[in-house]
Amino acid sequence: MAEENRLRIGPKEGVTYPIQVVYCGNCTMPIEYCEYYPEYDRCKQWLEKNLPREFEKVKIGDNSDTAIGEEEKKRQKRGGKGIIKTKKKEEGPKQVCVSRAPRGKKKSVTVVTGLSTFDIDLKVAAKFFGQRFACGSSVTGDDEIVIQGDVKDDLFDVIPEKWSEIDEDFIEDLGDQKR
Amino acid sequence: MFKKFDEKESISGILQLKSSVQKSIRSKILESYPHLENYLDTILPKKDAFKIVKCHDHIEVLINSSGEQQFFRHREGQWMPTLRLLHKYPFFLPMQQVDKGAIRFVLSGANIMCPGLTSPGAQMTEVEKDTVVAIMAEGKEHALAIGKTTLSTADIAKINKGIGVENCHYLNDGLWQMKAIK
Repeated sequence: MAEENRLRIGPKEGVTYPIQVVYCGNCTMPIEYCEYYPEYDRCKQWLEKNLPREFEKVKIGDNSDTAIGEEEKKRQKRGGKGIIKTKKKEEGPKQVCVSRAPRGKKKSVTVVTGLSTFDIDLKVAAKFFGQRFACGSSVTGDDEIVIQGDVKDDLFDVIPEKWSEIDEDFIEDLGDQKR
Repeated sequence: MFKKFDEKESISGILQLKSSVQKSIRSKILESYPHLENYLDTILPKKDAFKIVKCHDHIEVLINSSGEQQFFRHREGQWMPTLRLLHKYPFFLPMQQVDKGAIRFVLSGANIMCPGLTSPGAQMTEVEKDTVVAIMAEGKEHALAIGKTTLSTADIAKINKGIGVENCHYLNDGLWQMKAIK
């Protein structure tokens, strides 16, 4: 039986490992499990946008399944709360703020906040700023990078260049800050 | 195990491993998963420096040098592969298939109950008690959870009640959501 074979342990012949599994960009699960995600519609949208070919398959499957599928589902219906909760993503305003803070009498540092709202690794970003401006740069808080020296004006060009998803309009200038 | 796991809160430290410890972990993994023999070098290259991420509740996660999670274990238990790794090499764990109705419960972290393993849509491969198994689903290609049997398959079929497989790691749980660690 072919089905029996499917569960057999051991590498299958004619398959090269590692297998590349396509994951959904919305729910991160393999595409075939999207339908069990509460935000299936969003998954579909993602699929349509990124993998139109797979989307067609899902659509065809959906239509032919409805008639037969419902009957099947009835047989294996179960009670209880089997609802998967979605991880709530905090959808704050996506914005990067840059400001200048004085340091001593005539020196200043640049404070960058809000980079993590764009899912950027702060450690990497700090390293990049340090290398770019040849200065010290460190992660100082939950969502804060301090760059030594006044590089605020340069940041408006550098950030969109490095991370294309951040447009210059997303960067706000808070001006000078008191320490 | 990872239902309430959170990347930020649950990690207590990251250790670089000594090469002697690496060797012993490698051999332990090979011992428990003999089918990996030809592939272990690509999963855990000999020269690579792995790290261990220590987490709360006595969980340890083995990561490779690029920060991807590869294996995890609870206390001194057996090393279990993460789902991402298992999706790449699906053959090295014995597989149990649950029926369609069980999928959504498993995906929200429930243990696998015996009836879900014995109904017409399900299939079992014979294993002993306390074996690490991959949970597959009716009509799906990839694994959706990794668990440990609490009964042997013969007992599951006989008793047909209660928990058959303990759910250790499932799609979209804390470990799955964890990002690569630098």
